[in-house]
Amino acid sequence: MARIVGGIGCSHAPSIAHSYDRGLQNDPMWAPLYQGYAPAKEWLDKLRPDLMVVVYNDHMNRFFFDAYPTFALGVSDSHPQADEGWGKRDLPDLPGHAKFSWHFAQSLIEDEFDPTICQEMTVDHGILSVLPLLTDNRWPAPLVPLAANVIQHPIPTPRRFFRLGQAIRHAVESYPEDLRVLVVATGGMSHQLHGERFGFINPDWDNEFMDRLETDPQSLVALRHHDYMERGGAESVEMIMWLAMRGALGDKVRRVHRHYYAPMLTGYGLVVFESTSH
Amino acid sequence: MDHATYRDTPIAGTTVFTGERSRRGYRINKLAMSLTDEANRQAFKADERGYMQRFGLSEREMQLVEKRDWNGLVAAGGSIYLLIKIGGAIGQNLLQMGAAMRGETLEAFLKTRPGHLGNAAENRG
Repeated sequence: MARIVGGIGCSHAPSIAHSYDRGLQNDPMWAPLYQGYAPAKEWLDKLRPDLMVVVYNDHMNRFFFDAYPTFALGVSDSHPQADEGWGKRDLPDLPGHAKFSWHFAQSLIEDEFDPTICQEMTVDHGILSVLPLLTDNRWPAPLVPLAANVIQHPIPTPRRFFRLGQAIRHAVESYPEDLRVLVVATGGMSHQLHGERFGFINPDWDNEFMDRLETDPQSLVALRHHDYMERGGAESVEMIMWLAMRGALGDKVRRVHRHYYAPMLTGYGLVVFESTSH
Repeated sequence: MDHATYRDTPIAGTTVFTGERSRRGYRINKLAMSLTDEANRQAFKADERGYMQRFGLSEREMQLVEKRDWNGLVAAGGSIYLLIKIGGAIGQNLLQMGAAMRGETLEAFLKTRPGHLGNAAENRG
């Protein structure tokens, strides 16, 4: 049977992609972020997962409001990069895992999650901004993208994301092959990208979130979208996707690594957990 | 009842992207979505008004784009995730757009940033 061997929660942001593509790894503003990712990269390099399930959101690159899925699952063997409006980056397509993905779809639906099933799934900075910081390999394992609507309200509740994580775990543990699966959830911590409150960041709240994610996730599940938007800025509501990673790991986790840095517009958070409950 | 989903409670300086706003801003957002294609970006840059007319924008919506009035476009139902594609096509990055939405110069805004070291103006945010 397949099993979950670890989880990563991290912020995604176009700025991270931009810094990477411009080679700013040693730039004074960016170096702390890259140094903060180094232990996670080392851990992932040793972990050698067979598969990565990534919960993230698309930023109007694969999907538009003509038909906007609340959950969407990529089920093909390859996931090309989307052009976000300023040309594609110099990165190869992501390998997928069609066989696991169709099992995943079946299992999710039996657990009453009903994603849009996508045989063509282009992916954007929701995955590709952070993935190059987590590995020097292109790419370390097949990846199954699970996109969620966190942009056009009404969006799924924090509780729904936690339960989605439990359904991910169920799908993994009901897969007959011995795959070692890493669950990743991305979503920018505090940030607001519009209006007079543009640039709002709240490092205290971001760090409290990471504390509670580790030891008391139910207290985060109980919060309302409004609470997240008030504490972290309207666009930061997407950090509720981290709850899917936490839900997938079971009751108790062991923290392997944690880092936080907020130099500009977005709180860049990173947590790496291993599951201690089976 | 658990009021977990958003119920339009105001947060100062914030416009939550609700279904109602998505409906109102549909034409603006659809135009912006088209700019994920390079040929469309070129067509938009070559003739902004002609391109906008193809997407059925109202006169007022077209003027908001022409004035680069990002707050006005948000109020008209534009999603910031799509407005940045208009910004990208015309050469404004998110930091420039954000400074304008705060009513500040880019330089003044950057001074408010914890990590500002004088070289961040080209970063997209």
